[in-house]
Amino acid sequence: MIFITAVSRFACVVAALLLAATGVMLTYEVIARYFFIRPTIWAAELSQLCLIWGCLLAMAHLLTLRRHITVNAVTGLLPHAAQKVCTAIALVVVIVFSGIVAFWGYEIFHDSFVRGRTTGSLLNLPVWIAEASVPLGFALLTLQALVELIGLRGSDTTSLGATHE
Amino acid sequence: MTIILILATLFALLLIGVPVAFALGGMGLGMLLIGGFSPLMAPQSILSTLDGFILLAVPLFLLMSNLLLKGGVGRDLFAAVQAWVGHWPGGLAVATILSCALFAAISGSSVATAATIGTVAIPEMINRGYEKRFVYGLLAAGGTLGILIPPSIPMIVYGFVTEQSVIALFLAGIGPGLLLVTLFVVFAMLHARLSGGYTPVAKATMEERITASARALPSVALAALVIVGLYSGAFTPTEAAAVGFAAALLITTFWLRSMTWAHLWEAVRESAITTVAILLIVAGAKVFGKAIALYRIPQDISAFLAQTIDGPVMFIIVVSIVLLLMGLVFEALSMILIMTPVLLPAALGLGFDPIWFGIYMVIMVECALITPPVGLNLYVIQSVAQTTLGNVARGVWPFLVLMLVTVAVLYIFPDLVLYIPFKW
Repeated sequence: MIFITAVSRFACVVAALLLAATGVMLTYEVIARYFFIRPTIWAAELSQLCLIWGCLLAMAHLLTLRRHITVNAVTGLLPHAAQKVCTAIALVVVIVFSGIVAFWGYEIFHDSFVRGRTTGSLLNLPVWIAEASVPLGFALLTLQALVELIGLRGSDTTSLGATHE
Repeated sequence: MTIILILATLFALLLIGVPVAFALGGMGLGMLLIGGFSPLMAPQSILSTLDGFILLAVPLFLLMSNLLLKGGVGRDLFAAVQAWVGHWPGGLAVATILSCALFAAISGSSVATAATIGTVAIPEMINRGYEKRFVYGLLAAGGTLGILIPPSIPMIVYGFVTEQSVIALFLAGIGPGLLLVTLFVVFAMLHARLSGGYTPVAKATMEERITASARALPSVALAALVIVGLYSGAFTPTEAAAVGFAAALLITTFWLRSMTWAHLWEAVRESAITTVAILLIVAGAKVFGKAIALYRIPQDISAFLAQTIDGPVMFIIVVSIVLLLMGLVFEALSMILIMTPVLLPAALGLGFDPIWFGIYMVIMVECALITPPVGLNLYVIQSVAQTTLGNVARGVWPFLVLMLVTVAVLYIFPDLVLYIPFKW
């Protein structure tokens, strides 16, 4: 359990760095285009890859941080015990959803991997590099949600997220 | 019947506290499975959403504003504006609105705007004897300018889901933004005149003005660079955001000298968390949108509205009431993402411009940001000012009225929205 939470936290750090890296790459792209008149072929494509991986890697840790956007207006009115029941149900929904997405996401990844499909863009990267993020990210989310569900009994928190961002 | 069942299930999931992203995605996935469609569409929709180049602008604009925020730009902006208009009647209130507007041109979020300016302006105004409720209302409402004046994260998201030009949306937000600023400023001055009771600020000397402006100038120049770059077509929104991020880093490190490694990491981390929370909702909404499109629900709703609602005026009134009611419980982005695919086909059928409708949606969700019980800006001001939610909510209603007046004005004069992007 502690292991999964630690993996999620590490994945979130990697995600933050990937998202910041997009800023560096795209700034370089603008400079290369306007000052060196030599646009890159990699900046746009690699930053999109960073965005996909960044979002899906950080998902699980956001659950631990309770930072997913959630509607708390109604559950907030319920007694403490009822709030916990709602949170447990919500976690089960997350587990089922992310489990199914991880499974079918793996199918997509596996298919592209076996057939050796590529993006057909300038870099012509294998498609699976982007697609692998779905099974990995959602599998991590499924596991983390299980950890949260098991830990729910002993914890004080009664909601899965913040009301806003 | 199916529609009611689907909406009821979705709302039930949301209200028991399933995070919005997974409620939308789960609902969409469930509908795909029940309807016998391929479940592969769920991961595919998620991938295709996050692969959108335009959405890269979200983390980058967040990085830009978070860096400036950690660099203390909010304080500098307020000080600079105050030096120029502080001695006017209701001067601090006017300075607050104008600082919110300037900060809105750097930041794409309402909360950041309300929190940043609020932290500086609230104690200052209360010390000077301004009526507390007025102060809270002013800040909560002023913060909403953050998403109307470009850059704006809800506009990026609206542009992405409706396949409209984000640049056109950004430019379209300028006119209504300035109108709202004017209305707020006039109201603040009238309120100060009529209620009195505050200590006016002494007029700043020219020297003070120049010193204060010098610290604020680079941030204002950065905002101008972003807008001009977009308008002239030199940058795409994503590139403008990247350049903004780099410039923000340079400004805070070398000009203001307020950036530290700890601040930098905090800005990177916070931007990442916010980005992921936002973009996952967009991805979830895409799965849901795919599913309801396969069930032909938007078309059904559109046909139903066409039969029952008489003309565009009635449509806007009914939609506004629905959005205000939704705004009691939902936050801004979820509202845009849930309601746009449902309403836009009907709006287009009635002859509304999609860019106009986007700006209208943004103003309506701004209203949602300041209506209790769930009004994000209310919470922010409540925690910044250490007061009760009731106090903030009571201060906010005159501003809510002004925002609804703005919607009416935009309906009568749509060129206030469409002139800058299309006719200038």
